[in-house]
Amino acid sequence: MIDDIAVWVKVGAYAGGGLAMGLGAIGAAIGEGHTAAQANAAISRNPAISGDILKSMLVGQAIAESASIFALVIAMILLFSSFPATSFVMVWAVFSAGLAMGLGAIGSGVGAGFPAGAACLGMGRQPAMSGRLTTNMLVGSAVCQTPSIFALVIGFILIFTDYATKPLSPTWAAVMGAGLSTGLSAIGSGIGGGFVARASCEGIARNPKAAGPVTNIMLLGQAISQTPAILGLLIGFILIFKGGAASDALAPAMALLAAGICMGIGGIGPGIGEGIASSGGVTWIARNPEEMGVIVRTMLVGMAVAESTAIYAMVISLVLIFVV
Amino acid sequence: MQELGKIHQLIFTIAGYKLTLNLEVMLMTWIVIGLLIVFGWLCASRRAIVPNRFQIVGELLVSKLYELTEDAMGKTLARTYAPMIVALFMFLVLCNWIGIIPHMEEPTKDLNTPLSLGIMGFVIAHYVGIKTKGFKAYIKEYFEPMFFMMPLNLIGELAKIVSISFRLFGNIMGGSIIILVVSYLTYNIILPPFLNAFFGLFVGAIQAFVFTMLTVVYISTQAK
Repeated sequence: MIDDIAVWVKVGAYAGGGLAMGLGAIGAAIGEGHTAAQANAAISRNPAISGDILKSMLVGQAIAESASIFALVIAMILLFSSFPATSFVMVWAVFSAGLAMGLGAIGSGVGAGFPAGAACLGMGRQPAMSGRLTTNMLVGSAVCQTPSIFALVIGFILIFTDYATKPLSPTWAAVMGAGLSTGLSAIGSGIGGGFVARASCEGIARNPKAAGPVTNIMLLGQAISQTPAILGLLIGFILIFKGGAASDALAPAMALLAAGICMGIGGIGPGIGEGIASSGGVTWIARNPEEMGVIVRTMLVGMAVAESTAIYAMVISLVLIFVV
Repeated sequence: MQELGKIHQLIFTIAGYKLTLNLEVMLMTWIVIGLLIVFGWLCASRRAIVPNRFQIVGELLVSKLYELTEDAMGKTLARTYAPMIVALFMFLVLCNWIGIIPHMEEPTKDLNTPLSLGIMGFVIAHYVGIKTKGFKAYIKEYFEPMFFMMPLNLIGELAKIVSISFRLFGNIMGGSIIILVVSYLTYNIILPPFLNAFFGLFVGAIQAFVFTMLTVVYISTQAK
């Protein structure tokens, strides 16, 4: 019987590792392609600084790639570590860890490509600001990676938790739900954060005098548009650590799985929507910095309303976990 | 990699409740507080027209953050709350940076630290809200746009605590996991300094700033 579990844990780990790297490769590649396209546009407009633009493109692509490097790390661990074969839950946990990391890397990869592209284009337009644009791009792309870091954290917790004393029946669904909730909800926030950072790079190139407030509001907008991913992370934590009473009935297990799916899919839209809202805020602050107070207030209120759908999803998830 | 997630705990029971103290986190927090006090003393003990090095750094930090707070909150509120905001930022930066020293751990890696700071910001924000708007207008906001939205508005407010504290915790925790795992996989060759510079210094500073900015914004949105 023990051997049996060991075999299945290996199967789960291989499947999870494959999914992690396969899904994790999607986003970064799209983002990097976008960056390179924008860099070409910038070079054709301003060939004199093609060296600087190329350098900036490579740095931006390297940061966009870090999401898929996280996925690579998880995939390597899943493929080459030996896992304790104490419970069948481990099979689901390693699979779910791979799935979470793979899904979670999509959004951050796509998102981090946007500011890098906009920074290249901005350099072509405003070569004097290239230092400031590079800094802004680095900050923006680094903050874009946050959702994929959340997926990495959940992946690690899933892999290294000890499931020996936990009952199989609801726990397998809980670990799957945790992975899905964190992974799916990270997609929206990653892409949304990218929109904000792109708007700020464009804004600095358009109006270099507004660089200070634009960077600050970008950080604020990115941070708030990560809220859906954080709610997904919270639901993931609750699912992993709550622990249900053992039961052979299918309904409690399905409720936990559904809670993860609900929060995960429910977090995609709000993440993108909040990103669009705050990219608008950042764009228009760059054009009219005097009206910053009003624009920021409107942006925050709009983001709060866009976020409410993520909160509905969280409420339903919590009801599924604790009430149903 | 087994040291991951292992915490030295001191557990004792008082009146039937189990009380857990995370010793490393507490020790590191006290070290950070001690360093900040020393830094403050170095900045302010020998003030002069021609400033010494520490005074320049201190003045730069305080004036920049004060300006930021003033932009968001207005003059009167900033006079009261800017010192707290500046202290919060310096504390968080040092907390996030201390992990790059071997054998030191970031206190922010433990959820308790960001969560308690998040709750602190939340309480201050709502205190400011009640004080500036009056209790009635403050309560009325929860029943907008329709009275049955009250529970969701309430959860929305509580979600702010979750989002601000989990953001910091997740980033610092994730960074330290990546540093640990990648260093382990590459046998500590070449990569660790760069990883520490990126995840420790760069991401740590950004996240400390984001946390501080969000606290400022939460306070200022309650005041309006």
